[in-house]
Amino acid sequence: MANLNIDSVKDRTFDAIVIGSGMSGGWAAKEFTDKGLKTLILERGRDVKHIKDYPTTNMYPWEFEHRGQLPMSVQEANPIVNRCYAFGESAAHFFVKDAEHPYIQDKPFDWIRGYQVGGKSLLWARQTQRWSDFDFEGPARDGFAVDWPIRYKDIAPWYSYVEKFAGISGNRDGIAELPDGEFLPAFPLNTVEEYFSNHVKSTYKNRYVISARCAHLSTPNQIHLDQGRVQCQRRTICERGCPFGGYFSANASTIPWALKSGHATLRPFSVVESIIYDDKLGKATGVRVIDTNTKEAIEYHAKVIFVNAAALNTNLILLNSKSHRFPNGLGNDSGVLGKYVAFHNYSAHIGAQYDGAKEWTTDGRNPAGGGYIPRFRNVYRQETDFLRGYAAGFSAYRYPERSWDGVGSSLKNNLANKELGPWHVGSHMMGETIPKETNFVSLDDKQKDAWGVPLLKMNVDYDDNDEKMKKDYIEQLTEMFTSAGFTNIQAFTDRRAPGLDIHEMGGARMGNDPKTSILNKWNQVHSVKNVFVTDGASMTSTSCQNPSLTYMAFTARAADYAMSEMKKGNI
Amino acid sequence: MDRRTVIKNLALIIGGAALLPACSQDEAKSKVALKNIDISVVQEQLIGEVSETFIPKTTTPGAKDLQLHLFVLKMVDDCYKKDDQQAFLTGMGHFADVVQQQYGKTFNQLDTKNREAFLLDIEKEGKAEEAAAAKKDNNPIPPYKGKYSPELKKFYSMVKRQTINGYTNSKYFMTNIVVYELVPGRYNARFPYKLKQAV
Repeated sequence: MANLNIDSVKDRTFDAIVIGSGMSGGWAAKEFTDKGLKTLILERGRDVKHIKDYPTTNMYPWEFEHRGQLPMSVQEANPIVNRCYAFGESAAHFFVKDAEHPYIQDKPFDWIRGYQVGGKSLLWARQTQRWSDFDFEGPARDGFAVDWPIRYKDIAPWYSYVEKFAGISGNRDGIAELPDGEFLPAFPLNTVEEYFSNHVKSTYKNRYVISARCAHLSTPNQIHLDQGRVQCQRRTICERGCPFGGYFSANASTIPWALKSGHATLRPFSVVESIIYDDKLGKATGVRVIDTNTKEAIEYHAKVIFVNAAALNTNLILLNSKSHRFPNGLGNDSGVLGKYVAFHNYSAHIGAQYDGAKEWTTDGRNPAGGGYIPRFRNVYRQETDFLRGYAAGFSAYRYPERSWDGVGSSLKNNLANKELGPWHVGSHMMGETIPKETNFVSLDDKQKDAWGVPLLKMNVDYDDNDEKMKKDYIEQLTEMFTSAGFTNIQAFTDRRAPGLDIHEMGGARMGNDPKTSILNKWNQVHSVKNVFVTDGASMTSTSCQNPSLTYMAFTARAADYAMSEMKKGNI
Repeated sequence: MDRRTVIKNLALIIGGAALLPACSQDEAKSKVALKNIDISVVQEQLIGEVSETFIPKTTTPGAKDLQLHLFVLKMVDDCYKKDDQQAFLTGMGHFADVVQQQYGKTFNQLDTKNREAFLLDIEKEGKAEEAAAAKKDNNPIPPYKGKYSPELKKFYSMVKRQTINGYTNSKYFMTNIVVYELVPGRYNARFPYKLKQAV
């Protein structure tokens, strides 16, 4: 239903358009509106208002109809998203269901998505480790992908900038490969985590077990209270959305901050079909949006466009933005758009038991999840038959071993047992993967979704390097566990498809050379100066640290650069 | 049990009773709203008695007080595959038949001692079967010749699992036995074990 009055071009024209309202899009919106730019935030899904739209957040376990489990009909209808650990009765409403948004798996790929305001920032595991020059120099040193056009010193101040606002808990551990940041007090390691940390430190020269750094307000500062957020309550049911704003999400932080400025317009239910490129002007003039409710196509215009649709959807939008100048997708002179997609290898974990420290336990819940083992393989020099390395989680826990044996009062007594069993320890692998031309996404020629947008085709797979690294992880962790006196060590590997790590990256990588990359060192499309990509799509390599904090830092930095270029009249 | 807990439990029991399905006009069908499986009132009562044998009313509430049998039905109806649901129904029939053969009575007519003995015997056979399977890791498992059909054991394990699931996730259990704190939570990384036991 067209309304000619409000549909005038003027009303559809902004200073900036941000495509996507999640982890990175929220930051773009905040930065632009902080400086008074009239900003349109486009979100393909529904709105999720902080607190108001977290329907399960204050529910007790017994209040869930199936005590947390999803009905079999839902599980069977969603084989892909059902493999995600957080897809349960308490948070299923924040995940895209398989049938709602189809894609084509030329090779198996578990694409886990959250189509709503806030995106996956509602659902993330909140681990926030900085990347270092051991990551940014990786491709150049080890001869893969292309050289990163930036170094740690370029991004370091922006890490600080976003950390202060988002609120990151951690210790200053003084480890070169995992730079320290602007930290709120860390969540401490427990007795056995600390024991293992000390053991590893004294046994190995370059291996550490530290308190995992996470985006939780252990002790909030004024800037967090100003956002309406308060101290993390240690509930650890974060994926339901946190009414305290105890962890960083776009919903609790950047989006309401941007809206409060009065300069932002948030438009949910808006699928971006493509970015409009004007051949004569030689720049992008706006975006073509399909309203998901009315199926109406609407064009919005702006001086600058930030693409933050989440890594693979950003690739999709760019690939689908075809013009006379760019027949193969926006900014794709090099032909690398959609290629060099990579991810994190999470396909191994290991568990064991520890018979010491029986006089200690923990009380309550640790939002950080426990310990973090920074990469120790191939850091200072190449030392294995595979490239790069892995980080690992590490946690220790005790619980009452409640036997299910028997019937009647004896069973009742078993279930009420408060006596704790021994300590259990566990670790999971987070491996860097090598971006390759053969790992790519592309558009299907024929099939389109309900909004007329071509379906995305996935061709992403593991390789021999990943297998070798996985083997090494198991060997090294087994050795570390053994030397620490852990017993009953059991390693597990799985055949999970790429994507389930939810760290897919690349496709529109940064680089110095327009012939081999899409973006320059400012996350700016080489050949379209008013379009920036600052989400996972922009990543040249994957590091093995969690990526979200780095997306936030790149976004704030790129927004600052874009605004200075606008001031100079270059955009 | 202190006075406060007694009152709390009493309130729970009375509350629970009020929620029990009203007397059925149609005796054949269970009053529980189920989408995928058909359960008669007699079958619902059987599941109730089996659940109650697992988690009996003692000085604290039992399965029927907490309506765990209705939760079992809800879970079987919603959260299992068709094959499992079919095995559950078939196994329930076998269960009733075997009780009849063995005791000449229905399960509901047995005294507690016999009910427990019967359930424990099924559990024993299931465990022996599991142990045999674990031993013969690489060899094909020979068909196990036990007293109870696979479906009967499936029925048994589904009722037991979901009775325990319902019990340990019940408001009663989570406010009296193992207290769940929604908010505020806390985290003490180094906590003396002795204090924990006292909690």
